[in-house]
Amino acid sequence: MEKQDLRLPAEQLFAEELNALIKAETDPIPEGWRMSPRSVKTYICGGKVGETVITPKYIGHERLVEIAIATLVTDRALLLIGEPGTAKSWLSEHLTAAINGNSSRVIQGTAGTTEEQIRYSWNYAMLIANGPSEAAMLKSPVFTAMEDGAIARVEEISRCASEVQDTLISLLSEKRISVPELSLEVPAKKGFSIIATANTRDKGVNDMSAALKRRFNIVVLPAPETLEEEMNIVKTRVEQLSDNLDLNAALPKDAVIQKICTIFRELRNGETMDKKQKLKTPAGVLSTAEAISLLCNSMALAGSFGNGEISDEDIAAGLQGAVVKDSDKDSVAWKEYLENVMKKRGMAWSGLYNACRELNE
Amino acid sequence: MSGVNFFGIRHLSPAGAFFLREFLDKTHPELVMIEAPSDFEDVAADIVRAETRPPFAVLAYTKSIPVRTILYPFAEYSPEYQAMLWCHENKIPFRFMDLPSETFLALSDERLRKAEEDECEDSGENTDENKPDVYEQIAEKSSDGSHETFWDRTLEQCADADAYQEGANLFGANIRTLSDENRYDEEETALRETYMRYVIRNEVKDGVSPERIVVVTGSYHVEGLKNWENEEILPELPVISSLHTLMPYSYYRLSTRSGYGAGNKAPAYYELIWDGLQKGDRLYAANAYLSKIAAKMREIGNAASSAQVIEALRLAESLAKMRGGLLPTLRDLRDAAQTCIGEGNFALISTAAADTEIGTRIGEIPEGVSRTSIQDDFYRELKELRLEKYRTIVAQDLKLDLRENIRVSSERSAFLDLNRSFFLHRLRILGLGFAQCVPSSQENATWAESWVVCWTPESEITLVESALKGDTVEIAASVSIKEAVEQAQSMSDIAKAIDDSFRCGMPSSAGYAISALQAAAVDAVSFEELAKTAFRLSRVISYGDIRKVDCSAVEPIMKQLYYRACLIMSNSCICNDDASRKIADAINMINSVELAQDCLETEDWIKALKEVSSRDDLNTKLSGLCTAILLERNEMTNEELKIEVSRRLSKGVPADLGAGWFEGLALKNRFGLIARLSLWESLDEFINSLDDEEFKRALVFLRRAFADFSSGEKDSVAENLGEIWGLNGAQVSETVNAPLDDASQQLLDELSGFDFDI
Repeated sequence: MEKQDLRLPAEQLFAEELNALIKAETDPIPEGWRMSPRSVKTYICGGKVGETVITPKYIGHERLVEIAIATLVTDRALLLIGEPGTAKSWLSEHLTAAINGNSSRVIQGTAGTTEEQIRYSWNYAMLIANGPSEAAMLKSPVFTAMEDGAIARVEEISRCASEVQDTLISLLSEKRISVPELSLEVPAKKGFSIIATANTRDKGVNDMSAALKRRFNIVVLPAPETLEEEMNIVKTRVEQLSDNLDLNAALPKDAVIQKICTIFRELRNGETMDKKQKLKTPAGVLSTAEAISLLCNSMALAGSFGNGEISDEDIAAGLQGAVVKDSDKDSVAWKEYLENVMKKRGMAWSGLYNACRELNE
Repeated sequence: MSGVNFFGIRHLSPAGAFFLREFLDKTHPELVMIEAPSDFEDVAADIVRAETRPPFAVLAYTKSIPVRTILYPFAEYSPEYQAMLWCHENKIPFRFMDLPSETFLALSDERLRKAEEDECEDSGENTDENKPDVYEQIAEKSSDGSHETFWDRTLEQCADADAYQEGANLFGANIRTLSDENRYDEEETALRETYMRYVIRNEVKDGVSPERIVVVTGSYHVEGLKNWENEEILPELPVISSLHTLMPYSYYRLSTRSGYGAGNKAPAYYELIWDGLQKGDRLYAANAYLSKIAAKMREIGNAASSAQVIEALRLAESLAKMRGGLLPTLRDLRDAAQTCIGEGNFALISTAAADTEIGTRIGEIPEGVSRTSIQDDFYRELKELRLEKYRTIVAQDLKLDLRENIRVSSERSAFLDLNRSFFLHRLRILGLGFAQCVPSSQENATWAESWVVCWTPESEITLVESALKGDTVEIAASVSIKEAVEQAQSMSDIAKAIDDSFRCGMPSSAGYAISALQAAAVDAVSFEELAKTAFRLSRVISYGDIRKVDCSAVEPIMKQLYYRACLIMSNSCICNDDASRKIADAINMINSVELAQDCLETEDWIKALKEVSSRDDLNTKLSGLCTAILLERNEMTNEELKIEVSRRLSKGVPADLGAGWFEGLALKNRFGLIARLSLWESLDEFINSLDDEEFKRALVFLRRAFADFSSGEKDSVAENLGEIWGLNGAQVSETVNAPLDDASQQLLDELSGFDFDI
């Protein structure tokens, strides 16, 4: 049997939806785009086109999605900022999938990212053998995006060294890239833009310069505002993922999702939902994305070692790992939460409480 | 076709105002009818005067209590205001055609009474609650998220008068169908429309041809007025006796009122739209909005470049296009400013946005126009007290000398400053920002007062609103004091009201407050509360004669409170150390009250002091304090003190209690203590008698007792000790005043963790 890809890019995973949207397009399409801004929004926020139901990819804050799309229409670069796990990369992937049908022009920002990776580098064997030529050039995703009039993604831009970040400044203001070795100047085609993401937890690691910031329209993605919204996001994503990963377990019940989201929100915000009790916050991020992966983990546990139904023990194992990340402090915060909050929540919570406590004995 | 021209509007709508003028220019009617209470016509002449500057409002209020009010605010871009101006410029008559305000007030009175009754009955059948409001329905259907944005995007952006007229009429008609059933004010709307139809019919009967009439009304009513021709009987209108007045208004107030017609959230922004329409530049508002935000950002010290403004404008336009709009709405602009200028963070631009959207504009009404009687009274007093020169927006200092000026002949000028003080205090009670009383540098100065006086139109607004309380400043102030008494939470609140009434020179309202105080004093009250109240009253009496008011009515109640305080003091002294601080303050207050007022029985107080001083079962710190007061008042001889000291500090008394007592003793009259050598001998004996563990306990308290002794005082103490120990006083002083070395500091730190419960 042929092995399947672990994770398909968005444009393949949702090809059907994208095609339906393109087919039904009635509004004007910006140059270099595959569909109108309005259809992009429908693709991301969900809706219906003819008979095809478009699943929502990003839930909550539709206005932010609108601002992001409108930014890309104006040829400005877009910077998505937020806490870890607020769907920055997710949103940027889907935006490029909808606009270009190609979400793979990505540069992953790391401490080791170099200027060449953002502009171009050389195939040194060819360079030495034949001298500089276009054939010997290795074009970066940004380079090809400029040539094709498409959108390139730069993930975790604030993890790159500042001189590497600054390479983007001239690219974004001149909208052309020069290759002095070949006396070549490549102007960007219409439709070129960049979506960058940055993490607020990394603030101060390599702060972005004001000059670079000014070249971006900045959209801050917040953590989900209400419990209902967060539950909705978790539920939708867990459904999608479990199909993909063949988890052989029943989907988590609403009550389970509610418990996980409540615990995450309370620990994240440092107070109980009724705002009556202050809590210690653990060092971990406890993002929505983590809640999703926690539930998928629990499903995997239940599917592989249990009866296919998520049990309190499955969740407890995941919670322990998500909350207690490294230090003793996390462990103290978690134990206090168990005793002071969870224990007092009555019958519905007692199973989970006991399971968590056993792990902390 | 009915023939009458209907122009539906929203009450605050720049496009409406602009296109209405165009429409009037085109049709050139003989008569314009405007939806506004018909009895407001008497202020209409003042509204169109050139000196009147919007925003202003017409306020109608009932003369009886409870006061009901209705408010009609107008801005420059109110279509009704522009219609009036147009008529004035073209010498065309206009009529107000809505129900008279007295009927509106009667209806709202009825409704509020009913609501209050319902609340009492607590009927749970509120069917309206579940049905979404018609504006919520629009918000939902339009996908704009709010009906205001929907209106902005559709009607405010109309290209011409026809489009606006048609659109607004359609909008109104649709709202009617959406809200046909279950509207809470359905009856009222029906009555209003019946009345308006009746007024139109009458005008036509009077010979104006229907085609030559333009009716300016909220778009909602257009459908309801179309069949004005049908004869129908006008039901009898309820009325309630009321008054109305023109008053200046501010954009800030306009923005705090929400809801259709009553206000709008961003008056300064709507003014920009109006300006843009005048200039023929539809994008003007967007440009100006973003530029103003950038300018304000720079003003408060943030970077904001023109490039950012340009990018924000492009983003706003592309946001507008995504929704199919021509021009950016306020929401598009604000979001674009947040994204491009505020780095995605609204908090960064919030100050600038508030300034740009709301603005600080305040309206003006020509002098002498439609003043309420309280305004008349205010200006008369201002003139009489020669305060007129202070009515400017520049803040000025005003120093008052409340004493009689003996160098002038007439009594009025002799007490000019005193009367000014009364007047300014009354304004202060009414909450007018006109004059602020500055705490005097001379503490407890009885005859000098210092004020900062500064006139803002906001004060005028507050003044007009005070008209609801009474016809003169004095009456309104006394009503305010009465309200304060009624809402008072504690006795000292009432005492403050008494104090206020004397400061305002209104002994009559003090009378009301005094009887309220008497009633409150009957209930069990804490010692502290009694002391605070008595202290306030004592001040009122002390300063009474400088203010030439008769305070004799206060005396009996103060006596009563004083006596109560003396009786309950000893029992209040059973408390822990935390509470003792407040009690100590209260004891000091009563002591000073007793010293200040001759009319009080000194015996009662001394008796109470002696009781606390001698009892062993009370808080020792307070006992110590009472002993100190007795010493100070010379009610205790040295012999008695010596006995008391040795009793309190003898071996067997727990060290913390003994030291606590000393701490209380040291709270007052230190020189008296220092001068008594015998005291220090006893203290020395006491310390010598302690074993190590007890010494540690005592040390903590004694350190606290001596902590705020000045170094001079410590010197004298050291001298005393030197005398006792037969040492050189200067040497002892050096040791006592020397800073602690690290080792002793560490020892003391260990002591702070000392557990006294063991």
